[in-house]
Amino acid sequence: MNFGVYWAQQFLNGLSVGSQYALMAVGLAMVFGILRLINFAHGDVMMVAAYIGAFSLAAQVPLPLALLLVLLGTVLTGLLMERAAYRPLRRAPAVAVLLSSFAVGQILQNGTLLLSRLINQPVQMAFPTPDILQGAVLFNTFFGDLRLSRINLVSLIAGPILLVLLIIFIRRTTLGLSMRATAEDLQAAQLMGIDTNRVIMWAFVIGSLLAAVAGVLYASQAGQIKPDMGFTPVLKAFIAAVIGGFGSIPGAMIGGYVLGFLEVLLTALPGYGDLIRGSASPEVVTFLQTYLPTTLSRYRDAFVFVALIVLLLVRPGGILGTVDKE
Amino acid sequence: MNTVAVKRLFAAAFVLGILLSLPVLSLAQEGDPIVIGGGFGLTGGMASLDVPASNGALLAVQEINAAGGVLGRPLEIVVLDSQTEPDTTAQIARQMIEENQIVASVGFTDSDSALAFGPIMQEAGLPFITAGATSPKLPDQIGDMMFMAPFGDNTQAAVAAEYAFENFGPNGYLLTNLGSEYTRLLADFFKIRFEELGGTLVLEDTFELATSDFTPQITRLSALGTQPDFYFISSLPEDIGPFARQMRDAGFDGPIVSGDGADTPLLIEVGQEAANDVYFTTHALMDGENGTEAVQAFVAAYTEEYGHAPENAFAALGYDAVYLLADAIERAGSTDAVAIQTALNETENFAAVTGSITFTGGSRVPQKAVTIIQVVDQQLTLAGEFVPESVPAAEPAEEPAATEAAA
Amino acid sequence: MNAQAITRTSPLATWVGVGIVAGVVVAIILLLEASGSAFWQGIFITLGMFIILAVSLNLASGFTGVFSLGHIGFMALGAYIAAILTLPVENKEELLNLPGWLATIHLDFTVGTFPLGFLTATLIAGLIASLLAVVVGAVLMRLSGHFVAVATLGFLVIVRVVLINADDFTRGARTFSNVTPYTDLWWVYGWAAVTLYTIWRIKFSAYGRAMFAQREDVAAARSVGIVIMRSRLFAFVVSAFFTAVAGSLWGHFITSFSPNAFYFDLTFRVITMLVVGGMGSVSGSVVGPVLITALAEALRRLEDYNQLYGISGISLALLFLIIIIFRPNGLMGSREFDVEWLGQRVLRALSFGRRREGEKPERFPAGE
Repeated sequence: MNFGVYWAQQFLNGLSVGSQYALMAVGLAMVFGILRLINFAHGDVMMVAAYIGAFSLAAQVPLPLALLLVLLGTVLTGLLMERAAYRPLRRAPAVAVLLSSFAVGQILQNGTLLLSRLINQPVQMAFPTPDILQGAVLFNTFFGDLRLSRINLVSLIAGPILLVLLIIFIRRTTLGLSMRATAEDLQAAQLMGIDTNRVIMWAFVIGSLLAAVAGVLYASQAGQIKPDMGFTPVLKAFIAAVIGGFGSIPGAMIGGYVLGFLEVLLTALPGYGDLIRGSASPEVVTFLQTYLPTTLSRYRDAFVFVALIVLLLVRPGGILGTVDKE
Repeated sequence: MNTVAVKRLFAAAFVLGILLSLPVLSLAQEGDPIVIGGGFGLTGGMASLDVPASNGALLAVQEINAAGGVLGRPLEIVVLDSQTEPDTTAQIARQMIEENQIVASVGFTDSDSALAFGPIMQEAGLPFITAGATSPKLPDQIGDMMFMAPFGDNTQAAVAAEYAFENFGPNGYLLTNLGSEYTRLLADFFKIRFEELGGTLVLEDTFELATSDFTPQITRLSALGTQPDFYFISSLPEDIGPFARQMRDAGFDGPIVSGDGADTPLLIEVGQEAANDVYFTTHALMDGENGTEAVQAFVAAYTEEYGHAPENAFAALGYDAVYLLADAIERAGSTDAVAIQTALNETENFAAVTGSITFTGGSRVPQKAVTIIQVVDQQLTLAGEFVPESVPAAEPAEEPAATEAAA
Repeated sequence: MNAQAITRTSPLATWVGVGIVAGVVVAIILLLEASGSAFWQGIFITLGMFIILAVSLNLASGFTGVFSLGHIGFMALGAYIAAILTLPVENKEELLNLPGWLATIHLDFTVGTFPLGFLTATLIAGLIASLLAVVVGAVLMRLSGHFVAVATLGFLVIVRVVLINADDFTRGARTFSNVTPYTDLWWVYGWAAVTLYTIWRIKFSAYGRAMFAQREDVAAARSVGIVIMRSRLFAFVVSAFFTAVAGSLWGHFITSFSPNAFYFDLTFRVITMLVVGGMGSVSGSVVGPVLITALAEALRRLEDYNQLYGISGISLALLFLIIIIFRPNGLMGSREFDVEWLGQRVLRALSFGRRREGEKPERFPAGE
């Protein structure tokens, strides 16, 4: 494999991983932008989507119908969450809402656990990945043969499409405008006659839809689902959203891609070391192979959070500016 | 909410809480059933292994009682959930000892839980047999009351290394899940034995816990000049399915080898065609048609009781642990802990579903044969049962270097 | 302090009240030890540790309003540092790979039967955690609201990653085992008493008032000359010390642990106790753990008995939500159990035997 193909392939990998993270991050940012709520239950909403999908597909429901069920079910969950847990806390300090999102997540997880046991399903279930998402596709490009798994392909396409649609929605529609207004100043928006409850409801609907898509993609890739599967994704989504500028939708998108590329890079560098083994000096190779991966990939989460903290201190608005925008 | 009402409500809840947590008085007659403890992580991260193990244990108790019990008395098992939390694990250990007056216990398929549970049993002087924790150091770490029903990770890794070396070739690939004690130990032992045999690990790589996307690692593999003869992944049940799929999608059709972490229905459910040509070491092949007689009988009984085939070999290990204990109690002729311990130490060629168990030379890790399973046409088939020629020492000297591609 | 109470503040009454509470606790401990039930001792030991954790977190977060989600990171450090120090030399050789000077330290010496080494190790662990807290706090306490919550969460993750990777010192993801079980009821409740007393004194000191002031309104607090960083940092550091102590106690109780034990689950448990008890109330940080421990134990038994796994998780989370929606200040709010009142009642019952006309002792004087 030559230099070009290797990096082109890893670039493609980064793009698809980034798309998945972007989807998750934007879902999170939607709700944060308006409510200033860091919804840690977002990962569990993804989990619910995955479970609804799993049960529908296992029951031989045709794919389009199953998708519909997933979307409906997830939106319903999101709305229920909002009505029961978050609306009563509208006036509460931000931290109280953050903590209660943990509690909501616990309820979702344990509820799923209880349900699974009651209907006699194993705790860790296989996710019946639909055929359309199985296998890989080969591209013959300028650089050479590039491989992309179908799941990554779908992420790569569906991700940006959904996100672009979202941006259009926010910029061009009245509801989108209302959302931006509410995000900027909830009370002023109310005074201007905007039905903020409806706006918030829609934010949750969109957030849940994005979570549903992200959840199904994630479950397809992992191949199996379990009640606490939402934990890792929500952490990643959160990091991505903060990197890009918390509350900003375009920011969350960018953050998702940045995180995706970062992750791929950390594992790509050692591979690069393999490639240049013959042509580069042994010190460089060792640096790329031993020092970098050992430090970077093992300490990756730590580095990300240190970067996060620095970012919060220096530029709380993230890459795209202040929190109060968008 | 009204202050007084709230206070009263919580006072009531508090009192109720205390009352509910008081031990229920036992109505059983003095000394009639022999009570053993069964600690399992029925909820939490280990559930996919512990639930089958507890099912196996319960089945064993049922069968034993149908056949007349132990020492003429009925056998009773108290199964409690550890929630895969260390303090709850310790709590249930104490609960079983004090409230249920157990004479011995079985349980757990992971080392963390065994290490939280075992010392309490050890201190109470009660024998404890783990159903599935495979770290070979456990009996030393916990004490002389602790016995293992399964073989140690050093044994299964050695067999995997020898099998791979002899059947696939001297050039290997090692991928390790960094997030678990089991996977790191297994990888260490594998590397030691494989290199001892003269094999070379062409590439070593790692991944974080709960990684479902192996594209970066696979890309790196693609960049290699000459491909290795096989791919060894030291993994947890959730990893093997996606890994196999992604490897096959990327065009890597060579043999994939793993440890008993791959012994999960998820391998075939998730991997489907990709699971073909996956080999893994485990305790027994749960095949109702092609397994040994003991396995066939077990599979039939389990299916009848639970409505589906045993999920993995841990079901059989839970079953074996109980039978092993019952057998020891019979040989000891009493429920005295030291007598049971002596009987256990003297166990020789105990015919378990997962193989023959012998505790010799003072080692409480059984010398058992290791089963290697090969997936053919999305079916689990027996590749063979092996005893390793040489087993690495229980405590490896150091962690493997994260990378060291061959020259 | 008690502007409304008619009765004079009486130090004697306070001490009598404290004495009674202490007496009750000692009686319970003696009863537990006499019962020989390791199970119930275990429950109470765990309870004691949660009390220490809850009240420390209260100091760091409840008093100042600056929420730290990463405090369990200090607990982890406390557990590991103390355990590494007290581990006997042979175990160190077998399990760890320590540099020369550290490998020879083994703080398992005793003075008579008193494990002084354990105490020393605990203190050292607490000290190291505090020093780290000074650095971490100086950086993080500048933030507020959910930013600091998120940043401290980052701290928790960072600690975990470091622990997992410092294989030679901590055995990484593998279980750190064979820790000597020094912890018993006396240690836990002894430390709990110290912690409660210290934090009580802080609450009713100038530092404490500063903390509460800036919790209500930062700008107003600044305008009366309160240096915000100082009070926050002080709270953060002291709280880190006691949290690390709790970690050491926990490590020497459970005798085997891994970094997984000190993560989100434990964090959420402590936060639930804190919120239910009342942020800002020291007594609340006793009430919260007691209530939640009792409930959790009851629910756990219910789960085992009925195989309704998941019920306890749902119930506790629901309880948390109910409290935070309907009674966000928790059960006690910022008020305290009036020890003095207790003392006075007792004194009166003992010595005077009659109540003066029209004098009704205030059970719960208006909040501080």
